[in-house]
Amino acid sequence: MNKRWLELSVGLMMVAGVAALVALALQVSGGNMSRNAQSYAISALFENAAGLGPKAKVTMAGVTVGEVVSVAIDPNALMAVVNMEIYGQVDYLSIDSSASILTAGLLGEKYVGLTVGAEEEVLVDGDVIEDTQSALVLEELIGQFLLNFGDN
Amino acid sequence: MAIDDIINIQNVSFYRDDRAIFKNLNCAISTGKITAIMGPSGSGKTTLLRLIGGQLNPHEGQIRLFDQDIAALNRKQLNQIRARMGVLFQSGALFTDLSVFENVAFPLREHMHLSADELYNKVLLKLEAVGLRGARDLMPSQLSGGMARRVALARAVAMEPELILYDEPFAGQDPIAMAVLQRLIKDLNSATNLTSVLVSHDIAEACAIADQVILLGEGRVLVQDTPAALHASNDPAVKQFIHGEADGVIPFHFAAPALQQELRGGSE
Amino acid sequence: MINLIADLGSGLLGKLVRIGQALLMLLQATIVRPKASSFSRLIQQLYAVGVQSLIIILVSALFIGMVLGLQGYTLLAAYGTEQAVGQMVALTLVRELSPVVAALLFAGRAGSALTAEIGLMKATEQLASLEMFGVDPLHRIVAPRFWAGIISLPLLVAIFSLVGIYGGHLVAVDWLGVYSGSYWGNMQQAVDFNGDVLNGMVKALVFAFLISWTAVYQGYTCVPTSQGISAATTRTVVYSSLAILGFDFILTALMFGGTV
Repeated sequence: MNKRWLELSVGLMMVAGVAALVALALQVSGGNMSRNAQSYAISALFENAAGLGPKAKVTMAGVTVGEVVSVAIDPNALMAVVNMEIYGQVDYLSIDSSASILTAGLLGEKYVGLTVGAEEEVLVDGDVIEDTQSALVLEELIGQFLLNFGDN
Repeated sequence: MAIDDIINIQNVSFYRDDRAIFKNLNCAISTGKITAIMGPSGSGKTTLLRLIGGQLNPHEGQIRLFDQDIAALNRKQLNQIRARMGVLFQSGALFTDLSVFENVAFPLREHMHLSADELYNKVLLKLEAVGLRGARDLMPSQLSGGMARRVALARAVAMEPELILYDEPFAGQDPIAMAVLQRLIKDLNSATNLTSVLVSHDIAEACAIADQVILLGEGRVLVQDTPAALHASNDPAVKQFIHGEADGVIPFHFAAPALQQELRGGSE
Repeated sequence: MINLIADLGSGLLGKLVRIGQALLMLLQATIVRPKASSFSRLIQQLYAVGVQSLIIILVSALFIGMVLGLQGYTLLAAYGTEQAVGQMVALTLVRELSPVVAALLFAGRAGSALTAEIGLMKATEQLASLEMFGVDPLHRIVAPRFWAGIISLPLLVAIFSLVGIYGGHLVAVDWLGVYSGSYWGNMQQAVDFNGDVLNGMVKALVFAFLISWTAVYQGYTCVPTSQGISAATTRTVVYSSLAILGFDFILTALMFGGTV
C-alpha cells in the first residue's frame, strides 16, 4: 500500500469530515451560534402561558431576537413567569415594550412576540416586561364567542 | 555467569478447566544442549512451552529461567528475560502486514538502536543463515510453509538469544524442509552455545538432533534421558511412544461400555 | 424453575464479568504515553477503518437522503406544506438517521473487519509473538484500531448528514420542484447547531466508542479457531447494533425529550 496515498486519503477524509461539520453549522443550521455571546435575560409575567415552552422563539417584528429559557409559576404574583434570553445585539427594547404569546400559523407552535414601546430607556439584564398579552386558549375563545352570540 | 540448568521446573502444577495438565512436574534443561520435549497429544507439550515463556503462570510450583522465578517478575523484568530468548511458533507467526525483511528487523527495531546500515546488514546476515536472503522483499503470504518457518527462525535469532524454544518445528513439513530445519537447529545451537528446547512428536527427527529427551505423559515426566537410552528402554509407556504402537499404555479405545450393550437389535 | 433462575443469574454475572474484563482491557490499551511510531500506526488504521468505509457511507447517505426527500414531499404535500421538506430531511438526518444508520453500517463494515483481523492475528499466534518480543499487543495492535474507530465515525456521520441533505435537495428541488430557497431557508430556521447538530455528533461519539470497544474486545478474546473468529465477528455486529439502538433511545430521551 503506497504510503503517500494512504496518508493523503486519511488527510482528505479528516478534512471532508470537518468541512461537513462546518457546512452543517453554516448552511444547514443558519449559524445560530452567535446567540450565546453576550445575551441578556429578561422575563415577563403572563396570566396564561399555555403551550409556551423552553426553546420557543422570541421575536420582534417577526425576526428572532432570542429564545425562551423557562416557563414557571411566580408564587407571589400567581402568574406564569416566562424567562427569556435576548441576543446581545438587540439592545433597543424599550422599557415599556409589550410581550404577547402568539401562534405560528393556525396549528403551529407558540412563540413570544415583542413590540417596542415609546420610552427612551431600554431593557437590560434582569428587567421584567409588564405589558403582556396571554396565549389564546381555544376554550376561552369559544366561551367568549358563545357569550357574545348569546348577548345578541 | 554460566548456569548449569537454564530452565528449572520445580513441582509445577497447571490446571485447565478442572483438569490437571501437570501435577508436580519436575525437570531441568541443561544449558548449551538441544533438549526435545516429546509426548503423545494432550500431554501438555505446548502448554509447557508457554509456561517456560511466561505466557502462562503455573498454579503451583516454580519455573526458574536464567535462575529467576518468572512468575515473580514484573512486566519490565519479564521483557528483559524475553529479550534473551527466541520463540519459533508452530505456524511461524510472521506479521502478515510486514515484508520478510521487516519481520526479521522487527525485534532489532524494538530493542536496539542501530543505524540503518547496521540494521540492514544484520537482517541480511540472519536471512543468509537460513538461506532466504533473496526472499527479503516478499510478503509472508507469498511464502511456502517451510520458507515462512525459516523466516520466523531468522526473526527468532535476530537478537542473538541464549535460549530458543521451538513449537513443533517439524509438523507438516516435507522431508527436504525437515532436513533443512534439522540442520539449522543443530548448526545454530553449536555455533553460538545456544540452548535449544524443541517440542515435537516427530520421534525420528527430534531424536536425530537432540542431546536430551524429556518424555511427558500423565501430567508428569515419564523419562528424561538420551535418545539412545529411550530407544533401549523397557518401560511400556516409553516403548509405546517410541516404537509407535497403536495400543498399549495409552489405549486405542476411548472409554466406553462393552460393545454388546451398545448395539441395537435387541440381541442378547 | 429454580434452575432457570440460577442459570439466568449466573449468566448475568458472567456477562458483568465480561464487561469488567473488557473495561480493564480498554484501560490497559488506552492509558499509555503515545510515541512517534504510534502516530503512523494510527494513520494506517484511520485508512483501514475510516477511508475504506467512505464508499458505503457516501452511497447510503445519498440514497437515504433521496428517499427522505421523496417520502417527505409525498407526506407533506397532503397538507400543502411541502416547502418544509428541507427541514424535515435535515432534522431527521442530523438528529437520528445519520448517527444511527452510519453507526450500524460502520459496525457491520469496520467493526466486523477489526474483530476478524485481531482474531486472525490471535489465531496465527502473531499476538503471542509480539508478547514474546516484549511488545504489548494491547498497545501495538488494539489501541490504534480503537482510536481510529473513535475518530472516524463522527467524521463519517457529519459527512453522512451533509450528503443526505444534498440527496434530499436533489429529489425535492431538482426533481419535485420545491423552491430551493424554501428548502434551505426553512431548514436553517429549524435546525439548531447546538441542539441538533452537536447532539447528533455526541451520539456519533458514543456509538463510535461502543462499536470500537466491542470490536477490539471480541477480536482480542475470541477462541483462536476459524469458528471462534466467525462467532466473535457475529457478536461484534450484533452487540454493537443492539447497543447503538439502545443508547440511541436513551440519548434521544435525554437530549430531545425535554422539548415537548
